[in-house]
Amino acid sequence: MAIELDQEFPGLRAEWRRCICSDNRCDAGVGERLDTLASRFNGRQAIELRQQQIPAAYRSFYRQIGIDPDLEPTHVEQAALSRLLAGGNRQSDRISDALLLALLETSVPVFAFEAAAVAPPVEIRQALAGELAGGSDLPPGTLILADRERALCQLFEQPDVAMAVTGKGAEILLVAVAVPGVSAIASDEALTIAAEAISGS
Amino acid sequence: MAALLIDYAAAGDLLDEPTLELSERAARRSLLDQIGQLDRLLSAAVCEAFPDRLELPELMPRGPRVQSLGELELLRDGLVGSLREARSALAAREQERALAHELLTEMLRDPAKHRRLRITQRELGVGGCGVWSVAPRLGPMGRLMGWWRVKLSSGCPLAT
Repeated sequence: MAIELDQEFPGLRAEWRRCICSDNRCDAGVGERLDTLASRFNGRQAIELRQQQIPAAYRSFYRQIGIDPDLEPTHVEQAALSRLLAGGNRQSDRISDALLLALLETSVPVFAFEAAAVAPPVEIRQALAGELAGGSDLPPGTLILADRERALCQLFEQPDVAMAVTGKGAEILLVAVAVPGVSAIASDEALTIAAEAISGS
Repeated sequence: MAALLIDYAAAGDLLDEPTLELSERAARRSLLDQIGQLDRLLSAAVCEAFPDRLELPELMPRGPRVQSLGELELLRDGLVGSLREARSALAAREQERALAHELLTEMLRDPAKHRRLRITQRELGVGGCGVWSVAPRLGPMGRLMGWWRVKLSSGCPLAT
């Protein structure tokens, strides 16, 4: 029986938005917001995160697609863990900071692609036999992010280097992966936060 | 926990294709819901155990992809097993805490009889690093006279 993703996981979707990276240097305002978010965290909150509505939706979805979220934590749980280990939210570059900010604010993971390398619309689908991502074969049926022409990356994995963002002046395609139980408001907010933090508006 | 079992070989003769497809879809939906629900219960158990860490069995990763009906059943059964282990670990911890409380009560009632006993705040399920122990009143004199009392050490040791 062929299994349609929209019947199996109603609400699973990729939402995308374009923005311009005006400057690849870290933004002080974003840094302050990351510091504020870091100060809210302690060990108990990091553990209890999994009981909040959106993180719980990602955990359930991970289980349902065969990923153990205790071995491979969801993005927001990984960010919380990194915050505890590092003692703060470390800034690296404008785009990574923006994606981290969007993730911490909404619990929705957002991925950045070089817009020129992607042909929207972006969707979530099952890999076909012989499809490649990041130079390696994808087992048929693997859940992937794909554009009109090809597979972009395995679902929840970082994009291939060829599609990674190069920096200043680049047009960027932001993709939020929303799972069943995550409202359109949350995913839209994640994209808005990331886009504003990148474009500096 | 309810489980829906379908014998496809037998059902195939009785059911036409669309009916079978609907049955499988319903079974998959039910299993996916059960997996989501079990994960939420497991999360609640992990949070309840904090700051202790629950050692849960690792489930074989098979994704990210749409799981077959058999894989979903295995996953559901694995989570049921994990939840059972988590709950028994929590129950055992509660029992140990109750025992520690009983011992502390005994210790407070008759310190002299429990001179070698040490009970940590952690064993009692209370935050902090304090330790309840029996010590003599007035040092060596108290030891000779048998004047014993229960003391709670203060705070956590300084970081080195």
